[in-house]
Amino acid sequence: MAIFRWGDSWETFRDLERQVDRLLNGLTFPIPLIRVERQYPPINLYELPEEYLLTSELPGIEPAELDLTVANGILTLRGKRAAPTNAIDDQFRRHERIWGAWERSIAVPERIREDEVRADFQNGILKVHLPKAPETRPRQIQVIAGNVEGEM
Amino acid sequence: MAEETQTAVNSEIESPPNERPDGAKERVIFTPPVDIYDSPEGLVLLADLPGVSTGSMELQIQDNKLTLLGRCQSVIPPEARLLHKEYDEGDFLRSFILSEDVDHERITARLNNGVLEVVLPRAPRAAPRKIEVKSE
Repeated sequence: MAIFRWGDSWETFRDLERQVDRLLNGLTFPIPLIRVERQYPPINLYELPEEYLLTSELPGIEPAELDLTVANGILTLRGKRAAPTNAIDDQFRRHERIWGAWERSIAVPERIREDEVRADFQNGILKVHLPKAPETRPRQIQVIAGNVEGEM
Repeated sequence: MAEETQTAVNSEIESPPNERPDGAKERVIFTPPVDIYDSPEGLVLLADLPGVSTGSMELQIQDNKLTLLGRCQSVIPPEARLLHKEYDEGDFLRSFILSEDVDHERITARLNNGVLEVVLPRAPRAAPRKIEVKSE
């Protein structure tokens, strides 16, 4: 992938071009750059030294109606937002908010201590604390010399 | 006039203020989604304001304009490193023009789980009055 085009005599710039290309090719993006369809509820994910922090905007949900489960590296959020019950004839002059039941599952980025996941909900913002498991630290694997003609 | 009574609340989006008086850095300002409907108590306005608490919520009526401004308090520790983002934190601002049949004195509002509910009771209409026509 060449991004700069210079004249033939610009040898020094060609070097720069090659260096930039190499840098760009060497970059790896941790998050896929292709955006998928917008999902509900919107989620942000942060990393802290001791934990991952997931936040989500869920205005109008009662904490009792929020169901969180975590198993095998998958965090599932489930909830329901009730429609207003006192509208006359169910007629709305404006209807821009979303109601109804929803569910969303997220793959947790690394190994976490699933039994220590905790969540709090305040002002319509859900915060889920996912403590990192100690085994996510790099672990040295010893290589044992084996017999090449041994059993497979 | 009839038109205005029909649509008792007209939305009007204000341009966000460019400079904050407290000198804080410019923040994102969103137009919150709303529901507006008639209830037995009057008109009801619901607005989604995630992250806004009662202490950071301003609701103002001037003349016949209702303005809601919700300031979002960040819940993210400063040392957190963002891995994935689907929404921005920001403040919420939206204004509405109230019709004349809203009783301004009896407007009530409450904020619960990030949803603002404003009840706008209708002013009692004057009963029709017969005007006697006299001849001289």
